[in-house]
Amino acid sequence: MRRAREWWYRAFLEERPSVSLSLFRLAVAVTVGCHMIPSFLQVEDNYLSTAFKEHNGSFFPLWALQLVAQSPDWLVWVFVALFLASWACFFLGFNSQPSCLVMTASCYYFYALNSLHIGTLSFDILLVTLSLMWVSGYPGDACSVESLIRAEPKPYARLRPFFIQRLLQLQVAWTFFYTGLSKVTAGGNWLTDNPYYYLMRYPAEGVVRQFPFREFLAQHPGACYAIGIGVLACEFALPWLLFIRRTRWIGLAYGLAFHVLLLTTLHVPTIFFFLFPPQLLLFVEPETLVRWIERHRARAAARPHPILLYDGGCGFCLASVRRLAVLDIFGAVEQRDFQGVVDLAAMHPQLTPQRCRSRMQLVEPGRRLSEGFVAFRRISVRSPLLWPLVPLLYLPGMRWVGSGAYDWVAKRRLLFHRGRMCTTNQCGLD
Amino acid sequence: MRRNAWISAFVILWVAVFHYETLRLNYLSPLLGRELPKLKFLYPPAGWIMFFNVDRSYGLAEVYGIRQGQPVLLDPHEIFATRFIGYDNIRRNVLISVLSGAAAPQFCRYVARKFPQYEAFAVAYVVYSDLVERPGEKLYQLAYRCPLSNNDQ
Repeated sequence: MRRAREWWYRAFLEERPSVSLSLFRLAVAVTVGCHMIPSFLQVEDNYLSTAFKEHNGSFFPLWALQLVAQSPDWLVWVFVALFLASWACFFLGFNSQPSCLVMTASCYYFYALNSLHIGTLSFDILLVTLSLMWVSGYPGDACSVESLIRAEPKPYARLRPFFIQRLLQLQVAWTFFYTGLSKVTAGGNWLTDNPYYYLMRYPAEGVVRQFPFREFLAQHPGACYAIGIGVLACEFALPWLLFIRRTRWIGLAYGLAFHVLLLTTLHVPTIFFFLFPPQLLLFVEPETLVRWIERHRARAAARPHPILLYDGGCGFCLASVRRLAVLDIFGAVEQRDFQGVVDLAAMHPQLTPQRCRSRMQLVEPGRRLSEGFVAFRRISVRSPLLWPLVPLLYLPGMRWVGSGAYDWVAKRRLLFHRGRMCTTNQCGLD
Repeated sequence: MRRNAWISAFVILWVAVFHYETLRLNYLSPLLGRELPKLKFLYPPAGWIMFFNVDRSYGLAEVYGIRQGQPVLLDPHEIFATRFIGYDNIRRNVLISVLSGAAAPQFCRYVARKFPQYEAFAVAYVVYSDLVERPGEKLYQLAYRCPLSNNDQ
C-alpha cells in the first residue's frame, strides 16, 4: 500500500518544473490558431446564415445544437472576436487559464455551429487536450506575460504538481495504442487485408499526397502490407517505449519519424503538424530542460558577455530590469547597478554616473557601448523570448521612434514610482 | 493534502472517462449487449479510429453547374474555398457531406448564392468500385438536382 502511494505520488502529485507545459502552451495555441483562424477567413461560407453547415449530433446534445443554430450573424462575429482575443492572450500567456477557457468555449461554439470544416477526429483529440490545459494555470508559468508581471527569477524552474503533464503523456500514448488496436479489432482490417495498399491506389483527388515512392508502392502490395504491419508495430510499441526511461529517446525518435511519414504522405489536419509532435516531447523530463537552460546560463556567465548597467536607485528601473532578466532565459546579459560599480571608466571610457542615470547602458565584449532603446534592441537579439520582436525593433525608423519613447518614459520615471512598482523605498532617490 | 485529494480524484475521473469513451462503442457495448450512452461534449463517437478500415473502393461527390443545358464540373476548392495551413480539406473528402438528402435544400441555397452564373446544379455520387481490379472505373449516380423538385424537398 505504501509503495502504491509512493508510485501514485511520483506519477501525478510530485511537484516538478512546469516549463514543459509552458512550452506546450505555445504549441497548443499555434495548433488551435492554425485550425480555427483559416475558417474565419470565409466566415460567410462557414458560419453565417449563408453557410452550408453540418452538425455533429453524436458530440453535442440536440438542445446545444438547436441553441447555437439560432445564432444571429452578429453573434457569430462576437464569437470570432472573442476567440481571437482569448487565443492571443493564451498564446502570450496572459491570464492563461481563463483565456484558455474562453478560447475552448469559442471552439465549442464554432464546432456546434458548423462541424463541416473544423470537425475531425483529431479536432476531438485537440478538445481533450484543451480540457487539460484550462484545468490549471500552470501552462502560464514561463514564457508568458504572467511570468513578466510576476518578475520572479527563473520562472522556468517553478514547481507544480505533475498531473497535467502526466495526463497529457498518457493521452498521447493511449491514443497511439488504441488507434493501433482499432486497426486490428473493432472492424479494423490492417491484419486481414491490405489497407495501406488501397490508400496508395486512391485516386488523385483522394487523401494521399503525391510522394516519390507512391507509384512503386501502388504496384507492390507485399511492401505495402509490410509497411502496414510497421505502422501497427509503431502504434503498439510507442506507449511502452515512451514510458520506459531507457527506451524513451528511441520512442521519441520513432514517434517523430512516424509523424513525418504521416505528414509527407497524407493530407492530415494541422493538429498532426503542431500538436502531436510537441505532445510527444512532453516525455522529455522537465528537469532535463531546466538543466539544459542552467547549463546555457553557466556557459554564458563563464565567457565574455554583455553587461547592462541600470540605476538601482530607481524603482521603475529595477522592476524593468527584473522583467528583462525573466526574458533573458539563457542569462546572456549580466545586470549591474551602476551605483555599485567603483570605476565606471574602467568598463568603458565614455561611461559616467550622469549617463547611467539618464538611460540604461549596455557594454558588450569588444567594448561596444549602447544605451536606452538601442541597448534594448541589442539585448533582444540575444534573448530568444524577445526574438519575435526583433523584426519590429529593427524596422527602418524604429531607432528614432523607440529612442523617443524610451526617453519620454525615462524622463518621467519618477512618476511611475508612485505606482505599484515602487516597493524598494529607493524611489525618491535620483 | 486536500489539494492532493482533489488532484487524485480528477486524475481517476479523467482516466476512467477517457477509457470509457475509447472502448464504449466497439468493445464495451458489444460485451454488455446494449448500447452504452455517449458522454456529450467530449471525445469522438467511436474512439480513436483513424484510417482503421480502408477498403478497395472510394466514393466522393461531384457537383455540376448547369448553364444552357450544359453541365460543367465545379472545382470543389471553389465550392468550399477555406484554405487550411498545410493540408487540403477537400482531399479529406469534406465535399461528401453534401450527398445526404437532408443536406440538399441547404446546399442548393449555398451553391445558388456562390455560383449565380449557373441556372441549376446537379450533385452526383461517384464511386471507384475497385481500386485494385478496375482502378479507372468510375460509377456515377445522381444524388439530387438543384433547384429541388417538390418530391426532393
